Amino acid sequence: MLQYLVILLDNTSVAYCHADNPLKERNLMPLETLKKGILFGMKQNLMIQYIFPDYELPKEYVEVLESIDNVKIYPVGCKPITGINDGNEADVEATNAIPEKVKARNLVLRLTFNEMLNQKDEIAKLFASGARINLCITDVEQFTDEQIEAYKQVLNEWNSILLDLYKQGQPPQFNLLTDRMMLDKMHNCEAGVSNITLAPNGKFYLCPAFYYDEQMKVDNQLNHHQPTSDNSVGDLEKGLDIPNQQLLILDHAPLCRNCDAYQCRRCIWLNRKLTWDNNTPSHQQCLMAHLERNASRDLLNNIRKVGEFMPEIDIKEISYLDPFDVRKEF
Amino acid sequence: MNIKTGHEPWQHGISKTITFIVTKDCQLACKYCYLVGKNVKERMPWEVAKTFIDYVLDHETDPDFAYESVVWDFIGGEPFLEIELIDKICDYIKVELFRRNHHWFNSYRFSFSTNGINYHEKPIQDFIKKNREHLSIGITIDGTEKKHDMNRVWKQPVADDNGLTKPSERGSYKDVVKNIPLWLEQFAGGGTKVTISSADIPYITESVLHLYSLGIHEVNINVVFEDVWQEGDDLKFEDQLMQLADAIIDGGYYQDYACSFFSEHIGKPMDPERDNQNWCGAGKMLSVDAAGNLYPCTRFAQYSLRDKEAWIIGNIKDGIDKNKLRPFLTLDRTTQSPQKCIECEVASGCAWCQGENYDAAKTHTVFERATAICLMHKARVRANNYYWNKLYRKLELEDLREQYEANKREMKPEIC
Repeated sequence: MLQYLVILLDNTSVAYCHADNPLKERNLMPLETLKKGILFGMKQNLMIQYIFPDYELPKEYVEVLESIDNVKIYPVGCKPITGINDGNEADVEATNAIPEKVKARNLVLRLTFNEMLNQKDEIAKLFASGARINLCITDVEQFTDEQIEAYKQVLNEWNSILLDLYKQGQPPQFNLLTDRMMLDKMHNCEAGVSNITLAPNGKFYLCPAFYYDEQMKVDNQLNHHQPTSDNSVGDLEKGLDIPNQQLLILDHAPLCRNCDAYQCRRCIWLNRKLTWDNNTPSHQQCLMAHLERNASRDLLNNIRKVGEFMPEIDIKEISYLDPFDVRKEF
Repeated sequence: MNIKTGHEPWQHGISKTITFIVTKDCQLACKYCYLVGKNVKERMPWEVAKTFIDYVLDHETDPDFAYESVVWDFIGGEPFLEIELIDKICDYIKVELFRRNHHWFNSYRFSFSTNGINYHEKPIQDFIKKNREHLSIGITIDGTEKKHDMNRVWKQPVADDNGLTKPSERGSYKDVVKNIPLWLEQFAGGGTKVTISSADIPYITESVLHLYSLGIHEVNINVVFEDVWQEGDDLKFEDQLMQLADAIIDGGYYQDYACSFFSEHIGKPMDPERDNQNWCGAGKMLSVDAAGNLYPCTRFAQYSLRDKEAWIIGNIKDGIDKNKLRPFLTLDRTTQSPQKCIECEVASGCAWCQGENYDAAKTHTVFERATAICLMHKARVRANNYYWNKLYRKLELEDLREQYEANKREMKPEIC
């Protein structure tokens, strides 16, 4: 069920997930489009999430933006001041570099895998900030089996620091390691299912990445003969039209529906980019998600040595890192 | 007491099928052919074939190739147009299997599906003699001369500027039928493949009987998966199949001749969990084309696709990108089927082609099942029920039913 409407206010709105935003030229969503988008969200009973660029929006936008409850996602250091809800706890800062200070209650930190390894200690210092830290790896497709041990090691090191914080009564929130401990079912991105993105051109996309690809004329296939002409799934005039929407839902994902790496993003943009099918994750996505899942299990077990913690959660020991290797074959 | 059923393919379920698209050219330009991009330009160079074979044999222990046996399949266009290349490929495979002490050395087949036109020519006959013990060859003949020549026509002598070939009005029946006796002499029990499109329906009965009369004991016949069907075709189809059922039963053909339209195993409901296997073997198979690109099945090469881009899973230099195979190897029946198929009371035996599913899908996916044959399958089921009810009754009256039930062969589920 659709719950969230993501509104990309500008072509240069901040990237906050796996996909980089390659668009460099400003293209602010027309005010009328914004108003129509908000109206759509109101009628569909959707929570609005605005994605801000790194510049101040014209004053006439402020009143419109604040005409409805919203969450703001903005570049670190570019907090939009509207005078209303400026202290919203759900607001999110997003950045491609470790910030000196986390001001919002939520931080999206986007790094390559090697950047993450090289800055693991600086990342660890963020755990005590009181903010929820969402670390997003931006080059998942480059991850190899040879990097498994390195990832295991850094997750293990972070576990020690997180454990200390639990012992000190300051439970941290770090998506890669603490989310899974709290979950008893899949909690994924659900692009096209629970959320949809409205781009500055007034069209809907499954998520911002599909808009970027369209604008950059990037095809998702290696053997492209022609650029993707249109990734949109409807517009403000005609409404949503998501072909094969059932394939975005968990029960239509054969590998994922029996998986218990519940914290996995199940990024359909990465699915499509790497396997060419929206409902099938790549080896890299599964591998990383399972390393995180297993490390979460270790953390949960270590916390329980100190005291009772989430007794209803059971993360079983498993023998695989990629559910593809244990898939049901007929 | 025996009722003839179709041959199970050699080493069914335990062999890897590896297909060389040796050429995209063919002497014919059949009107129903799904190969919409046939052309005279794309012929496989020897270096591509050799590099591909080396790649496959270098990966003997890779799970993708860890099959007990191998079927080296050659397809076109018309594969025998490239007999010189094929002969060289097969020689190289045999030498390399021996040199490497590869586990496929004693368990391989070379497989061909040909239009039969140049079957009698010396280079092909020499090749057959040389490889006789490891060969499987099927000739496609569509039935009566009228039925065959409706679709299986020669191409125009000159290709267009892009090298694409176009159909002429000249039928090919006479050019094929002359080679049937030689083929049956060399491959006794050989089966032929018949394709039914909308215009062919009135000729089904006479065509199957005609093929029997030519000495072909196994007729593998199917309707095209593409959305070509007209209103009322299903009823005409049912009527034809009932006429065929009467002819086969009344004429006693069922003991020595098989027609794949009739099977005891079709037309039953299917359990969503227990009977959830994919129909198609795409992804378990591997195909290579002249450019050295790899495909999960030939149906995903560009010349097979009307509306979608080729689904290339790698190339002979870089190998297979296993991520691109994951959708194929996780496909099951229910995930790709609409609810009407999951709930269908006559679901078993209703086939699909993964390539056609992909080509016809609304999005870039292999998880959307095309259902253009729905009414045709239901018509087949009705006629099939008629066939078996009539045949069982006949056996009953001849006191042969119990004997038949006791001796009948256990059939594995039929898959592509």
